[in-house]
Amino acid sequence: MYTDSRPYDWLLLLVVLGLSLGGLFHLYTISFVHQSYYFFRQIAWVGIGLGLLFLFSYLRISLWEKVAYLFYLAIFITLLLVLFRGEGAHGAQRWLRLGTFSFQPSEFAKLSLIIVLAKLLAAKDNIGWRQIGLSFCFTFPFLILVALQPDLGSALILLPLWLGMLFLAGVSPRKLLTILGIGASSFPFFYLFLRPYQKMRILTFLNPGRDPLGTGWAVLQSKVALGSGKLVGKGIGGALHTQLSFLPQPFTDFVFASIGEEWGFIGTGIFLGLYFVIITRGMKIARQSTNGFTRLVSGGLIILLFFQVSITVGMTTGIMPVTGMPLPLVSYGGSSIIMFFLGMGLLLSMKRFGE
Amino acid sequence: MVPVRGKRKRFETRIKILWVAIVCSFLILLARMAWLQLIEGERYLRISKNSRLQLLPLPCTRGLILDRNGEKLTQNEASFSVGVIPSNVSNPDHLLDHLAKILKLDKKAILERIGRASNPFKPVVLKKNVGMSTVTFLLEREEEFPGVVIIAQPVRTYPYGRLASHLLGHLGEVSRAELSRSSGYGIELGDLVGKMGVEKTSNRYLQGEKGGKQVEVDAHGRALRTISEKDPFPGYNVYLTIDLRMQEIAEKELGERKGVVLIGDPYTGEILTLVSHPGFDPNLFSWGISESEWNRLRDEPLHPLENRAIRGEYPLASTIKVITASAALEEGIISKEDTFFCGGSLVVGNRVFKGWKEEGHGRINLEEALIHSCDVYFYQLGLRLGVKRIIRYARLFGLGKPTGIDLESEKPGFLPTRDWKKKHKGEAWYGGDTVNLSIGQGYILVTPVQMLKVISVIANGGYLIRPYLIKKIISPRGDLIKEFQPQKMERVPLSSATLNFLRRCLREVVREGTGWRAKNKTVEISGKTGTAEVSEEKNPHSWFIGYAPSTDPRLAIVVLVENREEDIQIGAQITKKIFSQIFEKNVH
Repeated sequence: MYTDSRPYDWLLLLVVLGLSLGGLFHLYTISFVHQSYYFFRQIAWVGIGLGLLFLFSYLRISLWEKVAYLFYLAIFITLLLVLFRGEGAHGAQRWLRLGTFSFQPSEFAKLSLIIVLAKLLAAKDNIGWRQIGLSFCFTFPFLILVALQPDLGSALILLPLWLGMLFLAGVSPRKLLTILGIGASSFPFFYLFLRPYQKMRILTFLNPGRDPLGTGWAVLQSKVALGSGKLVGKGIGGALHTQLSFLPQPFTDFVFASIGEEWGFIGTGIFLGLYFVIITRGMKIARQSTNGFTRLVSGGLIILLFFQVSITVGMTTGIMPVTGMPLPLVSYGGSSIIMFFLGMGLLLSMKRFGE
Repeated sequence: MVPVRGKRKRFETRIKILWVAIVCSFLILLARMAWLQLIEGERYLRISKNSRLQLLPLPCTRGLILDRNGEKLTQNEASFSVGVIPSNVSNPDHLLDHLAKILKLDKKAILERIGRASNPFKPVVLKKNVGMSTVTFLLEREEEFPGVVIIAQPVRTYPYGRLASHLLGHLGEVSRAELSRSSGYGIELGDLVGKMGVEKTSNRYLQGEKGGKQVEVDAHGRALRTISEKDPFPGYNVYLTIDLRMQEIAEKELGERKGVVLIGDPYTGEILTLVSHPGFDPNLFSWGISESEWNRLRDEPLHPLENRAIRGEYPLASTIKVITASAALEEGIISKEDTFFCGGSLVVGNRVFKGWKEEGHGRINLEEALIHSCDVYFYQLGLRLGVKRIIRYARLFGLGKPTGIDLESEKPGFLPTRDWKKKHKGEAWYGGDTVNLSIGQGYILVTPVQMLKVISVIANGGYLIRPYLIKKIISPRGDLIKEFQPQKMERVPLSSATLNFLRRCLREVVREGTGWRAKNKTVEISGKTGTAEVSEEKNPHSWFIGYAPSTDPRLAIVVLVENREEDIQIGAQITKKIFSQIFEKNVH
């Protein structure tokens, strides 16, 4: 239909570049001599991510519809492999080694789930319990496999992702409420299966005083770092709270707090604003699309980005539980960076081909 | 095309709703950021600039282990550790020089420890169990040594020392494997957990939960205010079925002999006494055992760390005759009146098997054979029964598998079979093997706690007990958390005629047979003796399994003396001394 491609969504591309380069620059400023390791590796990740972004923006989105199940299966197998021969860090097994690089299949599981759910839900005009059940059967195995690693944060984000996609696919409000009801009533059952430290995190979230030396400490330090940046921040090299390692994990989970300390409310506001622009552009692409599959893929990507941003920012500011989730396109970590670049590539390709 | 357009329209609506939700969420986040950075910013800046923080763990006290009457078998004593909080040290060189001298530590070692600290606000413990004089010295000069903290910590002590050491167990630093399995919160590397005995099996009840607090301090390390605090939660108390007074009597009577004394309630399976000698002093482990001390304990030829009552495997010797006799009667191999001739020895194949009495017992029946523990009688009976039936009855009495006592790594003992011998020894099962088996020698092995089960069957009228020694778990506030009850018991298929016969015989064993040394004026004891040959060079082990009073059994006992050096019936003699004191003082 559309042999000649339409132009890029330059604004979206620019904002994605701005976010990731801003994040990179920030990593550089808080990398002191012995930690430049993170910075240089992150440069490589962003480079690879950008390459893939351009590559995928030239591929037709319909290709993904064709390989949806295959992609799902591949991720399913790698998730199983992680459980049996994965590499650990902080007492969890999340990484799979490929040559000299190790990657985290749970990140790609999110993308794969979006694609498979979009294909499944776009196929029918009216979505009944059969489709809902089927879509759950795709979501649940990923959820369990990721939760077993154990990576509760990445596992639990799959649930709102699934619900959000059902919502966008047009499932009736009555059915959505029923699902929520069932979910809420089965929560106590799931609580039994949580690891002690995960129960702790939930309990600590409800009452941070429970764990003053562990999670409570992390949240307090995060708030001190973020808050002490005030309006304009302490500037390059001024983020003492971050640099004196008061703040745990300033490159990954708590990167937003270190942004707050160094660049102040202006910095955090700009970062949040850039995410908002991506979301608005993504919605525009979704609304312009005539194809059910592309609509749902773009919708899913928006939802994923939105949830991850709100959870990490919420955690850093002490209004969400500490789950250990990367800030999209900014936090250090190859798998997360590449997955989001891929996702952005998909958005760009939709715009280009107008499918 | 209407439905498609309808679907697209619905999507339009839904995406608009989503957009509104996203805008609202982002506004909340923005507001929160503004609150922290703009309104509270000044406060947080002050905290980040000026404050020094300390993260102090608040240790919890470990639950106690008590005997059935509430006597404390363990205690917690205060001890002091000296640590430094790396972030609060202003002049490290000066401080460490002084500390190294005061604590008699190597400065390099201190530096290395501090270098490994994960969080600069948490104290790094330099020395545990520091003497009171050092503590007061440091406290008086608090201002000279900013960053130094004294941490008061409870230390586990065992007021009775070696008494019941195998049963109580000891503590040790948590291993990485235990750490990943542990369900308790706040257990970190370096913490002490139960490593053996009840301390280990009930660790999850005893451990408790550590607390901690964040304290803001001034430049001299004085606490200004507490930012947040979590109270420690003490562990639960564990009540045992053990009776301390009985345990003390048994420990005293076994004395320095190597061996085991087990006393249990033959109806419920409650263990009232468990002595395994030699023992060790669990206090050594609480105060931090040195490597050389640990190696010495481990390599000691007498194996003081082994709980012989559940891990020692021995030939059961003549005590098996109780089982062989039951098998013969139940299977109808002989009647009580049938006799065999004992001429002091028996020739089987081309080997001569001697009985313990050289001149022989003459022509005797089963009752006389049991009373005088006639080997030659049982050789012949065993040959009639055959290995298969003897082993089947041994299994019915609970031998060959762990009893399920609530202690870790119990041994199962061993029951030989024809197939096993063929497979592992490459030889057929000979008549001589059956002859050996029928007096409890040869390949068969049992643990003392299995024998408590065997003798309880006779005492309680045919039931297989499961021995246990944890009675109940009580919270520090006195609430009952868990109570352990005797489990539903299987029955050994013995007729009451057989049981009555055996009980009569076991009474006669003490009245006029091999167990005469157990005879006393206080209480009538029934039982069976055994002398287990182990090797040519070493003295045999002496067994006594029994119960008292004979007519209305209330206590069952197993005594084993390894390589006895005194009288051949030392087991029966120890039983007499223990039971006469228990029943005289009416301990039970």
